[in-house]
Amino acid sequence: MTKHSLRRLTLSAALLLSTALAAEAATFRWAATTDPQTMDPHAVNAAPVTSFLNNIYEGLVRRGRDMAIEPSLATSWEPLTGGETGWRFHLREGVKYQDGADFTADDVLFSYERASSEASDVRSWFAPVASVRVVDDFTIDFITKAPNPLFPDSIANFLILDRGWAMANGAEAPSRDVENFATRNTNGTGPFKLAKRDPGIETRLAPNTDWWDTREDNVTEATFTPIGNAATGLAALLSGEIDFISPIPLQDAEQVEGRAGFKVLSGLETRVIFFGFGHNKDALSYSDETTGKNPFQDARVRAAVAQALDVDTINRVVMRGKAVPADQLLPAGLSGYSEADTSRPAFDEAAARAALAEAGYADGFSFGLMCPNDRYINDEAVCRAAASMLAKVGLNAKLTAMPVRGYFDELRAGNYDMYLLGWSPGTFDAEHPIRFLAATPDGALGTWNFGGYSNARIDALLPLIQSEVDLAKRQAMLDEVAAILKDEAAYVPLYTEPLIWAMKESVTVTQRPDNFFMLRWVTVQ
Amino acid sequence: MWARFWQSDGFWLFRRSPAAMLAAVVAVLILGGALLAPWLAPSNPYDLRTFDLMDGLLPPLWQGGDARFLLGTDDQGRDMVSSILYGARLSLLIGFSAMLIASVLGVSLGVAAGYWGGRFDAVVMRVADVQLALPAILTALLIDGIARGVLPRELHDDLRIPVLILAIALSLWVNFARTARASTFVERRKDYVEAAIIMGQHPLRIMARHILPNILGPLLVIMTVDLAAAILLEATLSFLGIGLPADSPSLGTLIRIGMQFLLSGEWWILWIPTLFLVALVVSINLLGDFLREVFNPRLR
Repeated sequence: MTKHSLRRLTLSAALLLSTALAAEAATFRWAATTDPQTMDPHAVNAAPVTSFLNNIYEGLVRRGRDMAIEPSLATSWEPLTGGETGWRFHLREGVKYQDGADFTADDVLFSYERASSEASDVRSWFAPVASVRVVDDFTIDFITKAPNPLFPDSIANFLILDRGWAMANGAEAPSRDVENFATRNTNGTGPFKLAKRDPGIETRLAPNTDWWDTREDNVTEATFTPIGNAATGLAALLSGEIDFISPIPLQDAEQVEGRAGFKVLSGLETRVIFFGFGHNKDALSYSDETTGKNPFQDARVRAAVAQALDVDTINRVVMRGKAVPADQLLPAGLSGYSEADTSRPAFDEAAARAALAEAGYADGFSFGLMCPNDRYINDEAVCRAAASMLAKVGLNAKLTAMPVRGYFDELRAGNYDMYLLGWSPGTFDAEHPIRFLAATPDGALGTWNFGGYSNARIDALLPLIQSEVDLAKRQAMLDEVAAILKDEAAYVPLYTEPLIWAMKESVTVTQRPDNFFMLRWVTVQ
Repeated sequence: MWARFWQSDGFWLFRRSPAAMLAAVVAVLILGGALLAPWLAPSNPYDLRTFDLMDGLLPPLWQGGDARFLLGTDDQGRDMVSSILYGARLSLLIGFSAMLIASVLGVSLGVAAGYWGGRFDAVVMRVADVQLALPAILTALLIDGIARGVLPRELHDDLRIPVLILAIALSLWVNFARTARASTFVERRKDYVEAAIIMGQHPLRIMARHILPNILGPLLVIMTVDLAAAILLEATLSFLGIGLPADSPSLGTLIRIGMQFLLSGEWWILWIPTLFLVALVVSINLLGDFLREVFNPRLR
């Protein structure tokens, strides 16, 4: 007898039901490398945060196991008619926040205002939006500046907060650098609620028993622990201290697979790892030789960097062959990926040296290279390998590897000449990295374009791409952008990051290529 | 001079002690290897141009590795032999400097405290007592943390080694101070010191010229033992990732890097630096034990 058929029994059996569920009760302990920096869904647009908060908060739409969007807080949506462009969302009725407040269209409006405000890190999601109009308590219109066929897809991670709760606690605006109430407290509509938050140490979640959807998990308590050192994390898994970890060291996958009682789930993430440059710096910040000029402003120098890096060897030795070399800012196969030119610069030290000489840097130069050491798989090792390869053509990287906790702040402060970054397009479409990484930063667009790369043609194409309904025309424009980025070597894409999760045999999870870990699909036997 | 050495008690004891001889041979070999690293090592692990990722993760020669790399390579393609020689050089440099600073500081304070006694003695010894209550590693962590907070960011990398030396030295001075004070206390009451005082010699001169030479024996023992302690402390700090950065590897950093490969079958990256560190520390400790025997006839 399953618990579902049990549930159909009469009220008098309620006591029996609760004991039956208690027998199935499962505490689930999981670990990952990075702690979510904040519990505020609009403060930091980084996967560890968004992924974690998707367990607590919900958006109008959500992604299913197959990555397709499906109804969540909105039950249906359709394009606006009657001369206006945009989308109308019909909201789910009877949904309650974890503190008991009712969910209404006003909360969506509030969350929109909050997420598109100056202080928000996710503003660029709403760059195409002109205004938002509440029609009634359960209908809301997003009016866009131009037709935007992909808009519902682009807001799957737009998580909804309760206006009353945020106002009462002084959390009406997101805050990235200074803490506010929403940094450590949550009040979502999702399947789990925050039971205890100890930043960097432990975060505990409990199921939201009033959740509107049918539960697919059987987790009664979930504990998340960040474990920075992957080898330590693996040891914790093997000793039974935790039930699940992502990622495990690539070199240990085979060994874990061979052990009784454990299993490994591997795949490719939709994340491309690449090097970026300080385009907008007039001079390098960490160079000994080149004062007053910035060689990375010269496309020939950037192309030389790409040629000097032997990505195949990095993949073979550092990534154990589990990554796939990348040529664009999104992985091959995603919607909008440019098939027109899928080549990557061939590894050629002599050509790189020649290009540097042509640009006037025959003797090379030194510069500062910033890398995280606990964000991406083997990130520091990749940077060290790259530094060694660049040194062979005369580019002396001064490597600083630091924890991700302060990493993005350092990048925003311009404390680098070249940096490592990974990008997973939240919409799974080529427009996303253009909007965040290639558009000229203007506050709303190009928010993660730390180096301030700027190309007028790309800026002109972006709104056209966003509003184009004809897929062939849209692809032609995406191909053009991809070609410009490649020609100018604006970024140096390295590889698509592998996904490698390890867990006890008794645990069942769903691995999505965006590396989001959804507790609502976890069952523990 | 040499004749005196060959006929001395110490040398006689040395020849009778195989453990001491073996330890001395190992210590001299490691010391020589570290000092001559730039000439002995096949490559320079600090120079990014000299190693190649293509050579990454090669096993030691006897396990089917490459003839160029006797002890294999790490995940960056660095030759293990060179890494270890350069690593030992750095570890020994830090260990020796920290030990020297700790001994100068500790012995001066200890001798002065023992000679003058009274309030100065009370203050120095209470500070020492407090510090003894804290584990050495904690003191070192604390000093390292403070230095990091106080110093401007641009200086961090340049000052990494001096800060590390200072942190270790300040956590080890207590041993020297306590021993020096106790010995001075005994010597202070001996006739030759009284005589010097009556002759009207300056107290600093009495401490340096009369007392210090007579208490050197036990101090030499402590210096040896603390050298081993300083090397271990440096390795621990680097292992925890707060000592030296990964691109200037000491033995502790090498062990930290090797940890990642503990479970995956690339044993040499972890085990070779670890065994090397153990050999170094054990041999220094054995020499320390031997010196203790020489200077303390009752132990014979």
